[in-house]
Amino acid sequence: MRGIRRGAFIAALLALICRGAVQAQAPLPATDGMHLGVASCAGNNCHGAVERFKTSHVAQNEYLIWSQKDKHSGAFAVLREERGKRIAANLGLPDAEHAELCLGCHADNVPLARRGPQFKLSDGVGCEACHGGAKPWLGTHISGVGHAANLAAGMYPTDQPSARAELCLGCHLGDAKRYVTHRIMGAGHPPLGFELDTYTAAQPAHFRVDDDYIKRKGLPDDIQFWAVGEARDLKGRMDALLDPENAPKGLQPELALFDCQSCHHATNQLQWRARASTGLDPGRLRFYDATAAMLRVIAERVAPQTATRLREHMLALHQATTADWAAVTREAAAVRRAADELIPQLTQRKFDREDARALAHGVIAIGTSGDDLDYSAAQQETMALGSILAAMKLQGFIDDAQVKRLNDALDTLYDAVASDQSYRPDKFAQALEQFAEKLTAAR
Amino acid sequence: MAAMRKYAAALLVTLLLAGICCLRMMPALAAEQSQAVHLGVATCAGSNCHGASERQPNSSVAGDEYTIWAKRDKHRRAYTVLLGDRAIRIARAIGLPDAANQKICLDCHTDNVAPDQRGRQFQLADGVGCEACHGGASTWLGTHISGASHRDNLDAGLYPTEQPVTRAEKCLGCHFGDATRFVDHRLIGAGHPRLPFELDTFTAIEPAHFTVDSRYVERKGRITDMQVWATGQAKALANRMTALLDPKHAQHGLFPELSLYDCQGCHHAYEPLLAPQPSSSGLGPGTVKLNDANAAMLQVAAARTAPAAADALRTHMLALHRATNNDPGAVRREAEAVRAAAQSLVAPLATHDFTGGEIRAMADAVIALGNGPDGWRFSHAEQTTMALEAIATALKSAGALGDAQDATVRKSLDALYASFANEASFRSDAFAAALRDFQRMIKP
Repeated sequence: MRGIRRGAFIAALLALICRGAVQAQAPLPATDGMHLGVASCAGNNCHGAVERFKTSHVAQNEYLIWSQKDKHSGAFAVLREERGKRIAANLGLPDAEHAELCLGCHADNVPLARRGPQFKLSDGVGCEACHGGAKPWLGTHISGVGHAANLAAGMYPTDQPSARAELCLGCHLGDAKRYVTHRIMGAGHPPLGFELDTYTAAQPAHFRVDDDYIKRKGLPDDIQFWAVGEARDLKGRMDALLDPENAPKGLQPELALFDCQSCHHATNQLQWRARASTGLDPGRLRFYDATAAMLRVIAERVAPQTATRLREHMLALHQATTADWAAVTREAAAVRRAADELIPQLTQRKFDREDARALAHGVIAIGTSGDDLDYSAAQQETMALGSILAAMKLQGFIDDAQVKRLNDALDTLYDAVASDQSYRPDKFAQALEQFAEKLTAAR
Repeated sequence: MAAMRKYAAALLVTLLLAGICCLRMMPALAAEQSQAVHLGVATCAGSNCHGASERQPNSSVAGDEYTIWAKRDKHRRAYTVLLGDRAIRIARAIGLPDAANQKICLDCHTDNVAPDQRGRQFQLADGVGCEACHGGASTWLGTHISGASHRDNLDAGLYPTEQPVTRAEKCLGCHFGDATRFVDHRLIGAGHPRLPFELDTFTAIEPAHFTVDSRYVERKGRITDMQVWATGQAKALANRMTALLDPKHAQHGLFPELSLYDCQGCHHAYEPLLAPQPSSSGLGPGTVKLNDANAAMLQVAAARTAPAAADALRTHMLALHRATNNDPGAVRREAEAVRAAAQSLVAPLATHDFTGGEIRAMADAVIALGNGPDGWRFSHAEQTTMALEAIATALKSAGALGDAQDATVRKSLDALYASFANEASFRSDAFAAALRDFQRMIKP
């Protein structure tokens, strides 16, 4: 039941995201080599096994999971569907499948010179879009020398939080060359929602954390992925705000920087609430700040002084929307600095049992204090609690029965955020209270 | 020769009368800002004045005006809603302790004249009462009771609510807003409903406490639904542009005054491809658009009577849309040009005698708009429907719709209204289907 409900929510989000149309080419490392194509990985004695190899230290069915369950494999195909065509037409493009704007995220759009004989653009977001062009490291990789040697040869370190955040957010938030503007969304592209740890799990991950994995790559910490992901997200959002491309051209700035539901809600709902963290009057657009709220909670635990700066500058950033763009960029730069400073600190942090509890209660308090019950925050709070719970389970902070009870409470949260149209803040706050009670009981 | 003199004398008399008419209109308008005392609803509500329980058969007016207002007209409750939970919530959201003691609310939710203009029986709690529209009665009550002509009443200070231009000015003062009263986006964000309005339809659904019969026409002249509709659109657009040009509503921080924009342009669920269709504004997807439904209707109203003004309106409205998105420096110039075009149309439309053929042509044009590139927009669907209601009423009055056809037309109008009754679930295809049905029903 849990799987189905949560799966449906994440599938809906993924459906939205995986149909992302964005710009230009992937920013792969300078050392990125020739992309040999998905076919070179998919052999049945390599990563195309029908089921897990018992004797190998990797599952070897990674290709199958990707091609059957992972929407990244359909990223190119959606460009040819009715919706992709219509979005392209609305943007004045002849089609989506040849547009750099779309291919930058809907395929592994490396330059022609770096496409091997088996490379196919139509494979969508394939192996090498994330793991890097395989030519320089395929030999090391096949010979089984070890993960470190693979990385040294040029394989992308997707197992490391900051590298993974950098890679995924390049499309799932966007970067200097690839950004889903409000024009693209207005043409029919879905909005982007993301949380690094939850999306790794929901992809679904084609790796399993077992003894082999831990021996080769270390024990991953879901809290760390979540925390680093949020810091990198906020930094990326501030980069987008500071990008002159997104400054006001007519009477308004780039609307994709703002919280979708601050406008896209029905007018027959009395929904406005005062928020101390924005200090804004009713009837005003708010910058999207849900990931900033998460990062503030994280920083309060890890680096309280940075948390204070973050809070002050986020408040000033919201206030700046009532002043002018110069004030906006000044505050955005300050928020960006705080987020950027946190990334190395969070990457080095070993999150323990007490950290996990404190972070969960901190996340819950954002909603239960009534300060931020916006839909965007509710989505981030739910995914954050899912990631913290995953860490508590993997690190053995709580027992299986406690995990189960908390998972049930998490399902209720996912139900409450299933759709922005049916989202009710009061119901969500109630579900948060219930989660908090079970968390307190699971001592 | 004698005939000639007689004709000249008649002409002179006509001109004199016309002159007197013009002169007499002026004090009535001036009375708007006059110091006349508002005597209060109780003064009008006597059972042998306007508080009869039913229409009086032998009187030149129905006599039950107060009763209709008290029982069915929402103006009656305008003040009491300020005491409700919603109003208090709205007030608190904008930092006020309550709504019922605030000028910002009272100015439209009651007859908020200065204290020294409130008579003994005057009560704020009466809401938008008789004198809020008809003017303070102290100067004209005597004339009015003595059964003098309507003209004498106007002369004494009664507000000319029957005239399209003055009615539009009166109603739009609150139903759109003016220099001192305006429901801005902050107030809407706090929970105040948006303000949909169309002069002719809103007169009818108020409900009107007058009936246009031969005696009415004799006293007040023949004023048609088309004149009221068209004048209402011209004044609404002019007021809209005045608001856009008002420094009080200038850019505040990063955003312009959003209440002047199309509500559903932003406030829609982002369901797959619900909205992204080209619109006549010429703007690309994902842009915020000014509410231009009045402008679209006014173009239809003016297309036949003043084609040059209609063209100017189209050109400058398009330029204004572009300016708001790409060229802020041109906004003022274009808004002024749109306002000038709208204002130039007020007087001609208020007096134009729309023929049956013209009304039919307008029906076709409004339906074509509904089927056109903006038909899917909520704001346009709403104005299209209200225009068609005004048109149907006008056709009926002109004898161009029989009772049986009128009944079927009304039914299809109901279906049109039903198609956007719920903003959140508005679907343009349901509206388009209802519009096709209406088109079939209205055919001669």
